[in-house]
Amino acid sequence: MGSGKQANDPYAVDIGKRIDDIQALMKERDIDIYLGSRIRTHSFIVDAFVPWRSYIVIPAEGLPTLFTFVIDATRILSETWMDEDHVRGYFGAGGAEQVDVIQYFIEEELGIEKGRLGYETGMATYTAEGWLTHYEYLKFSEALSGFEFVNAHDIVDHASLIKDEGTINRFREAGRIVDKGQEGAREAIENGGWKGMTETELAGIAALAMRREGSVSEWNFAGLNEISSGWRTGLGACTPPTTKEFAAGEPLMFDLHGMFKLALGDHSHNYLLAPATERQRWHADNFVACVQFVADHYRAGATPGGLITELGQFAEDRGCSDFILPGVEHGIGLFGDEWRVGANMDVPIPYWTDPEHSYQENEMVILAMQYAAQEDGVGFRYENPIVIEKGGCELTSKYPLAIEEIE
Amino acid sequence: MANVAYLSPEWVEEARKRLKEQLTPEKMNKVTSSMTNIYQNCPDGKERYMYVSIKDGVITDFDVGEGEPPKAEFKIIADYETFAKISRAELGAVRALTSRKLTLRGHMAKALRLAPIVDKLNKVLASIPADY
Repeated sequence: MGSGKQANDPYAVDIGKRIDDIQALMKERDIDIYLGSRIRTHSFIVDAFVPWRSYIVIPAEGLPTLFTFVIDATRILSETWMDEDHVRGYFGAGGAEQVDVIQYFIEEELGIEKGRLGYETGMATYTAEGWLTHYEYLKFSEALSGFEFVNAHDIVDHASLIKDEGTINRFREAGRIVDKGQEGAREAIENGGWKGMTETELAGIAALAMRREGSVSEWNFAGLNEISSGWRTGLGACTPPTTKEFAAGEPLMFDLHGMFKLALGDHSHNYLLAPATERQRWHADNFVACVQFVADHYRAGATPGGLITELGQFAEDRGCSDFILPGVEHGIGLFGDEWRVGANMDVPIPYWTDPEHSYQENEMVILAMQYAAQEDGVGFRYENPIVIEKGGCELTSKYPLAIEEIE
Repeated sequence: MANVAYLSPEWVEEARKRLKEQLTPEKMNKVTSSMTNIYQNCPDGKERYMYVSIKDGVITDFDVGEGEPPKAEFKIIADYETFAKISRAELGAVRALTSRKLTLRGHMAKALRLAPIVDKLNKVLASIPADY
């Protein structure tokens, strides 16, 4: 069972192996049914864009079945490897709403009335994670009263941690697409093009450039493409674009998001609008050097805690450690997987990065760095999905690392 | 014609006749499916089923009975009175579904596509003069 229409498809992935891996972990945990509700779980199994509230039922043996809002079921069916019997809909009617259809499916069609049911709950900074809500938990546990509900999302997190070649190739293509967005954005602002332009307008120009290259979504929930200029760059994070117009002498931060076959492009690039001050240039050179330092140190066996310690020393030596925000990473995977680094539950601060997480070959992470000089009204952000290699890392966005001054 | 008792053998005979006459394969979009209506709390206290099987738009089986119904792609469960109201056109099927007076079982995406067919079927059945 694969998800690649032709032989030699560089983007083909082995969904059968993914299901086998999940079911093996379910067996280890004595779980009879896995009820997935997170977007990342749907992306990993369905291998299609599942944006509406959906649930996937994975039995201990056999194929999973997706339940989605009925209006989108046929579209998903046209894109997934799953057949019609395994892509089902729900809607607001007696016997047809979410809890009814899934309860009936598990008890009557699968014939399982008791056992252990794995579900997904937790927390994140990522709004659209898709955890089972408290209300859903109450209703499902009431409807499936023969089951013991156990939180088991780490099963999917473990199974999806190391990326296969087809998935990595999808990220490479998403990186190429985002680079085209960055090129389009740069063309739009150069030679005075920035005058009178707002952050939101620039976000749209970049989106169009990426869509023309095959992106299907600016998937990020913080305003899709995050653009900031002026004082907000000094916070070290982009956050949603506003209707503020660009102004001479300000820093610009373009954090673009594209999606290709569920792989997430995410590259943040920075500029200075002329005339740049010496202080701005000093900050910019510091940031570029720090990003390059971290990119040079990512490799299998590196840890987030180790990288931030090494970066701290490097920044200290340059005299810019006051401006480097802590953290050099956030998680990345297929659509819906944008937060956790690693898969372990046993970490010092649950649902935050484990500083001792040891990166493995073919794991992916966002090299994410923030530089905030709020008093000087300047800051920068760098993001790039990277593939961890044995002796280094591959940047999927090839856009040159630099902070140029734009006239 | 004189009224016949709803769900009686006479009503079933009349229903078969009218369905054959009025619902051509084209009108039925040449669908293949099957459904069972489960009538709970009938006036005599019993539970009955109404089974319809369609192949390539032709109604191949239509029956009313007691006990275990034939296996069907869809099952619609409701009180006798709810089905009677739908047949008398006093209650719309969609309204009955959305107010949980009907319970639908089966593949919901397929069920939505079949909804217009079921409407046509209900209209024919509603045209039979019947005592409820």
